[in-house]
Amino acid sequence: MASVTFRNVYKRFGDVIAVNNLNLEVGDKEFLVLVGPSGCGKTTALRCLAGLEEVSEGEILIGDRVVNDVPPKDRDIAMVFQSYALYPHLSVYDNMAFGLKLRKVPKEEIRRRVNEAADILGIRDLLDRKPRQLSGGQRQRVAVGRAIVREPKVFLFDEPLSNLDAKLRVAMRAEISKLHQRLQTTFIYVTHDQTEAMTMATRIAVINKGILQQLDTPQNLYDKPNNLFVAGFIGSPAMNFFPGKLRRQDGKLLVDTGDFALTIPPSHVQTYEAHAGKDIIFGIRPENVHDVDFIPPNIVAERVSVKVDVTELMGNEIFLYLVSGRNTFVARVDPRSKLRIGQQAQVAFDMDNFHIFDAATEQAIR
Amino acid sequence: MSNLAQTFGALRSSQKFQKRFSVAVRLVIAVFLIAFSIFPVLWIVSASFDPSQSLATQTSLIPRNASLQNYQRLFGKDPNYKFGDLVFQKWIRNSVKVSGISTILSLTITTMAAYAFSRMRFKGRVAMLKGILLIQVFPNLLALVAIYVLIFQFGEIIPALGLNTHAGLIMVYLGGSMGMNIWLMKGFLDTIPRDIDESGMVDGASHFQIFWHLILPLLRPILVVIGILSFIGTYGDFILARILLNDVNQYTLMVGLQIFTAGQFDQKWGVFAAGALIGALPIMIIYLLLQDQIVGGLTQGAVKG
Repeated sequence: MASVTFRNVYKRFGDVIAVNNLNLEVGDKEFLVLVGPSGCGKTTALRCLAGLEEVSEGEILIGDRVVNDVPPKDRDIAMVFQSYALYPHLSVYDNMAFGLKLRKVPKEEIRRRVNEAADILGIRDLLDRKPRQLSGGQRQRVAVGRAIVREPKVFLFDEPLSNLDAKLRVAMRAEISKLHQRLQTTFIYVTHDQTEAMTMATRIAVINKGILQQLDTPQNLYDKPNNLFVAGFIGSPAMNFFPGKLRRQDGKLLVDTGDFALTIPPSHVQTYEAHAGKDIIFGIRPENVHDVDFIPPNIVAERVSVKVDVTELMGNEIFLYLVSGRNTFVARVDPRSKLRIGQQAQVAFDMDNFHIFDAATEQAIR
Repeated sequence: MSNLAQTFGALRSSQKFQKRFSVAVRLVIAVFLIAFSIFPVLWIVSASFDPSQSLATQTSLIPRNASLQNYQRLFGKDPNYKFGDLVFQKWIRNSVKVSGISTILSLTITTMAAYAFSRMRFKGRVAMLKGILLIQVFPNLLALVAIYVLIFQFGEIIPALGLNTHAGLIMVYLGGSMGMNIWLMKGFLDTIPRDIDESGMVDGASHFQIFWHLILPLLRPILVVIGILSFIGTYGDFILARILLNDVNQYTLMVGLQIFTAGQFDQKWGVFAAGALIGALPIMIIYLLLQDQIVGGLTQGAVKG
């Protein structure tokens, strides 16, 4: 059990900067998820922490010990690889016991720990099998079990679910969350899947192009994204963006997209007033765009004329792909909506839930 | 309806016929090829039982007056026959010893070198790999004189590695066989995912422990293949052994057997054939023992499969 700290960490491969000045504090017993598109440096950051890569600059601390020059085996970490990396010639039992045997843990103790981990993961009856006799999900469990028996200070997961099918992924997601509850240890988890990040993390670090974009709780990340990248990355379907201008007219503040103008409600005017006349990007999540027949009560709605391009019926909701002038965007509307493909219609923007970003810096204006 | 059924039946039977025909053709070709390759062996077997000692007079595959005389002579059990103090058993022992030791040493060096080439990144890695391949292009035969002089002068300083010693011969074999084997082994190692090494590292293993406990067991199929090839290669070598060894007691089997065919009017083809057959036994035994070991796919299941 320990905290983990990245202090001004850089990792360069030749001219490529994989990790760019990463500063991160992971508290004890925290479940931190590093998320970002592929190639953003999140796995590299994890491998630096594991000791599989040397950092080019900066410090990494586990607890209050700087581990830059500590070999992986002495860092007291366990890692679950994307490919599982089980040892093919060893049985499940020996796979899990391998690390303990190297550490000269007494035989009885090894047996106890392996059996305990196997019970937690429900793989007790697989202990004599070889990895090739296991299914993908079972291999995944063994890989996790191999980490558990070590009783490390920090667990590292490198996209552990990306090789599983969709259903199993959901199940394992819940199991890993439960495991975190049970073990009360620091978990650091890398994924490119924002759903995994949102569902499991206590805090999420969004990384893009090697740079930490935002570090926050899942809810805050969703409600108050710092910049355009985070806003677009977190949430599915992604947030809709409309490039436009902030304009003052008749004492009101308007977002003018060129195709339609939205009045900013008085309660929000103060926040944005200073940016009047600037190029901005207006963002709104699909669930805040409503069919005019089903506008929830007590919201400030702004109507926009659209043409329905595609509808996707999901059962409990409908995704509408809408076109308004040059803009295409998605609405997630009430399943009773009668809007159909090709129709001209009106939708309502919930003007209490929107985001405005500076077009030049892409930072949120708050 | 019957018309349709007939047509269909005819088609099916013709497909069946085609299938059978193609099997038959393949069988004929296979039998021919087997006969082609097995004939020389049959002839040697036949010659070994033919007491006439001459290839020219041997007219049929099943010799007249077949006897074990050649085998008796080979082991010095024929009182009416002497060919000096030639020591057939010793030659076999020498051959097995030289091939065995050089195979084991060669496997050890090859595996460790290939592991380094595959897993570690160091300056000159690519250049060295290419160099090894390039050197391999020139047959050992070209360097014959150089090797002779080299070993001769080596012997002046360290007699144990000089001419007429098995150690010297083994050393030459080691140098010769390594290049190709390192490439073969490296190719196989490259297919073993690095994740396994890294997982071992995190689990607490040192480089050597990773090599010994995790990687080596996965190399078994390629170790067996390279081992057999290297054993056969050295066991069957004639030229190098012939020029480096000059004492009858030090001879390997191939060099020794040649004596039987060397005398101008005194060739003993029958004895030679008997010796050749017995000499083939060790290799046959090794093949039979290890044939089950040559299984690939051992790395299956390491990563998602």
